[in-house]
Amino acid sequence: MRSFPFGSAALAILGLALASGLWLAGHPIPSKKATLTLWTFADTHYNFYKEAAPEFERKHPGTTVELQLVSGQAVTSRLQAAFWADLDVPDLVEVEISSAGSFFRGPLKDVGFLDLTDRIHRRDPVTGKALWDSMVHTRFSPYTSRGRIFGLPHDVHPVQLAYRRDIFEKEGVDVAKIHTWDDFIKVGRRLTIPNKRYMIELGDGDGTNLEMCLFQRGGGYFDAQGKVIFDNEVGLQTMLWYVPLVAGPKKIGNTLGGGQILTRAVEDGYLLCLVAPDWRTKSFEKDIPRVGGKMALMPLPAVTPGGPRTSTWGGTMLAITKHCKHPDLAWEFAKHLYLDKEGLAERFRGTNILPAYRDAWKQPAFNEPRPYWSGQRLGSLYAALAPQVPVQYTSPLVVTAKGKLSEALVACVQQYNTHGAEGFEPFARARLKLAADQVRKMIARNPY
Amino acid sequence: MRPNALQLAGRGVVYLALALATAAAITPVLWLVAATTKGPDDLFHYTFFAPRLTADSYRRLFTTFPFLRCLMNSLFITGTTVIVQLFFSSLAGFALAKYEFRGKKQVMLLMLATMMIPGQVVMAPLYELIYRIGLVDSYLGLIIPGAVSVFGIFLFRQSILQVPDELLHAARIDGCSEFRIYWDIVMPVSKPMIGAFCLIGFMGSWNNFLWPQIILHHQERFTLPIGLNRLVDLYQQQYGMLMAGTLLSVLPVVILFLALQREFVAGLTAGAVKG
Amino acid sequence: MSARSDALAEKRELAGEGVGAGWFRLQHKAAPYLFVAPFLILFLCFGLWPILKSLILAVYATNGPKSAVFVGLANFRFLMADPDFHTAVRNTLVFTCWSIFFQLPCALGLALLLCARWVRARELFRLAFFSPNLLGQVFVGVLFSVLFVPQYGLLNHLLHALFGIALDTKWLSNPALVMPALVLTSLWMYVGFNMIYFLAALQAVDRDLYEAATVDGANGWHQFFAVTLPSIKPVAVFVLITSTLGSFQLFELPYIMLRNTAGPDNSGLTVVMYLYNTGFITGDLGYASAVGWTLALGMLVVSLVQLKLTRAMKGVGD
Repeated sequence: MRSFPFGSAALAILGLALASGLWLAGHPIPSKKATLTLWTFADTHYNFYKEAAPEFERKHPGTTVELQLVSGQAVTSRLQAAFWADLDVPDLVEVEISSAGSFFRGPLKDVGFLDLTDRIHRRDPVTGKALWDSMVHTRFSPYTSRGRIFGLPHDVHPVQLAYRRDIFEKEGVDVAKIHTWDDFIKVGRRLTIPNKRYMIELGDGDGTNLEMCLFQRGGGYFDAQGKVIFDNEVGLQTMLWYVPLVAGPKKIGNTLGGGQILTRAVEDGYLLCLVAPDWRTKSFEKDIPRVGGKMALMPLPAVTPGGPRTSTWGGTMLAITKHCKHPDLAWEFAKHLYLDKEGLAERFRGTNILPAYRDAWKQPAFNEPRPYWSGQRLGSLYAALAPQVPVQYTSPLVVTAKGKLSEALVACVQQYNTHGAEGFEPFARARLKLAADQVRKMIARNPY
Repeated sequence: MRPNALQLAGRGVVYLALALATAAAITPVLWLVAATTKGPDDLFHYTFFAPRLTADSYRRLFTTFPFLRCLMNSLFITGTTVIVQLFFSSLAGFALAKYEFRGKKQVMLLMLATMMIPGQVVMAPLYELIYRIGLVDSYLGLIIPGAVSVFGIFLFRQSILQVPDELLHAARIDGCSEFRIYWDIVMPVSKPMIGAFCLIGFMGSWNNFLWPQIILHHQERFTLPIGLNRLVDLYQQQYGMLMAGTLLSVLPVVILFLALQREFVAGLTAGAVKG
Repeated sequence: MSARSDALAEKRELAGEGVGAGWFRLQHKAAPYLFVAPFLILFLCFGLWPILKSLILAVYATNGPKSAVFVGLANFRFLMADPDFHTAVRNTLVFTCWSIFFQLPCALGLALLLCARWVRARELFRLAFFSPNLLGQVFVGVLFSVLFVPQYGLLNHLLHALFGIALDTKWLSNPALVMPALVLTSLWMYVGFNMIYFLAALQAVDRDLYEAATVDGANGWHQFFAVTLPSIKPVAVFVLITSTLGSFQLFELPYIMLRNTAGPDNSGLTVVMYLYNTGFITGDLGYASAVGWTLALGMLVVSLVQLKLTRAMKGVGD
């Protein structure tokens, strides 16, 4: 055994393993046994919580908080796996709005989150005010199952349209005169030059933007009882209206992709308007810095005159798990992160996200003019729309329903591209029903 | 015999085809290299290189992203997995090739049968098992299940079958213990196969995605594929950093491949050609 | 050398009755068991046991291991009727067909180009063709998701310049183009890998056979079918089966390229992705196990059929 018999390559690999092992041993993961652990999936959240945590630890001596940044796509599967295995379950966790429903699958007693309903409705003995009264009510519904609330909403996410102000001005478009989608489409037809310039970023490959339009019209995937409704009349009308915007020869909407793809598309004036929930305005500031000062926001056009001028896209809840050994302390921490007015104001500056806690909106941060947005007061604009944000209900099969609606959209787009308006309505009706029936069938299959 | 004009023309066509295929194979990699040298706002403004080269993507990769940590995690997990795989597989492959013992047939049948079963089938029960023995979110939770390579066993069995029995007999007569035979005689003559196996195992473990994604919880333990995949999601798309990270991530495999190219080709194809 | 070992054997013989010999015999007997043991233990725990466990799971509907409800064969019945599963199977089969009937011939073609004796810099070409495989599915997926970007992506610019396709062709969000995009990407990634096998096989073909065929007056095509194909058949069958099985397990490439989704209208949904979604997103491990076993069965059947077919072809060839 004098020599290493596996050859020099294997020896090199062994050396690498040993060297990296030594490095890792020299850089151990700080393994403090924290009193509370919190998982979040968003970098921006993580960075702010990291700043907010020490203050909480100071206020509650002996308490330690550990924050973990878990990949956005992985948080659902990892939390799911953690629940199933009763292992490594965090005390608090932030869950994305579209996956929250999948945790409500089993019987109520098996839901892995703590029921927060009573805490949210409990009246403060001094002020007589319940937390419920200070929050945007519609934001609880996606985190509610069978009447019980399992999460504290992080945000409201009203939607506006971000537009290239400079180009609009050059083209003589007065956004103050755009009240309804009809107005908007009229302008869009004028400004759109196929393959060169499109009025708005709207997707034809998945239902993200369609969903927003569906919500604006008062539709949704499920009703409050969890029944599938996206193939009802509202759903059909939304589809019939939406598809010609992104398909066929007269389309005014297109999409290319996010990040640096968007950078070029917006800089080139390929896309004039972008669907802009509050959180996305921060992405624009980061990804498309060179159009700073040339961008501005306008409320979403109404479906009918006087109708709601906004919708919603995205969202996050903070839940406390049943594995948490200190639920009261965790609740305090949740309130510290979500209901601390100064903290929320600071968070808003960093993320542009309007909190669901209405009392915080009076902070000066929400009324600051933003140079990137041509001096508009971002916070106030979104806050003014927040009361109109439509409600959305969830179900354990919400992910499936989203997928099915996307499929129906893609099929309708294909149909419209190849056959035009002829016979489109019966096709869309049948396709939507097919998609909805598939979800109904899966609901019926759930043994719980 | 000198080639005639027709043959020369034919050769020209072949070289042209080869050149085109080479261009097709190389261009995406070239684009990748170019992409890492562009500023974050210029990624799609220039087809290949921008007039202004910058190492900004790399700088941000190391400063705003725990790239070094991910790299070390990947190196440690992959290196350990490969070495353990190599040792266990070659040892067992040796036993299955050169010994007759009770249960040998059954063991081989069992392994052969499980080879047909895709790994994804066992992910759920395997997670449960890893949990029971307390290895979730640990390096061992990746290394131990990764060390089971039925494929490796058969690879080694096949190559060791070629080793002449006389060599082993002579060694036994010389008083070599069986382990000594394995270590001093069988392994040194199996070096090409070992080289091939190292590369296959390294690539498999290095690029593994789904299992680490399920097993690892702490960002501090993330391997490169899952760490980098996090750079692009709904809320952020850091293509520049992603491209830089991708390029650096494939470098170790490329280096290993360049070192092992000969053994790899020989070892990889030996089984297939003879089998 | 031989004299020396003879002497040693004699020595061993002489010591035959001693303690050393007993130990020697014992270790010889025990060796195979000891050698197989470490692997076997790991294999039984982490290979076989989960497989058996998933067999049991397949007849349950679960919400994690805590609440499982026995449903018998209902999982399989639902599976057979589920249009998404049909889509997944169809996509997987289509991809597999492209791998077999498009990518493998390309690999063989490349190998044929390279195997001529007069080709210079063969190693360099081989390296170039193989290099995409080194990136691995995850990184290739990342890279190509960017190359396929509409309007500004490299691929569209190239194809626009060469064939005049529309610049805003949306490879990854037009359901009709997702499969072509996947096929192209996997061609790029795997053609060099499979070529290596073919090339090795071609180089191992006995030169005398060609010369004999030339004497018999066989031209290029005849030679190819009469000499080349039969000679490389064992390798071809091996490549065929491994790439079929690999295609059946397609997951990372579409999953990463399509941003962790199944793509528009499920056009990139594969069987393994379906399994992952039902098991780890919806949370029905039992159902996922049923899917897994269906996949395993499909793989078994297909490779048996392939073996049989190729064996039958041998009969024809002989």
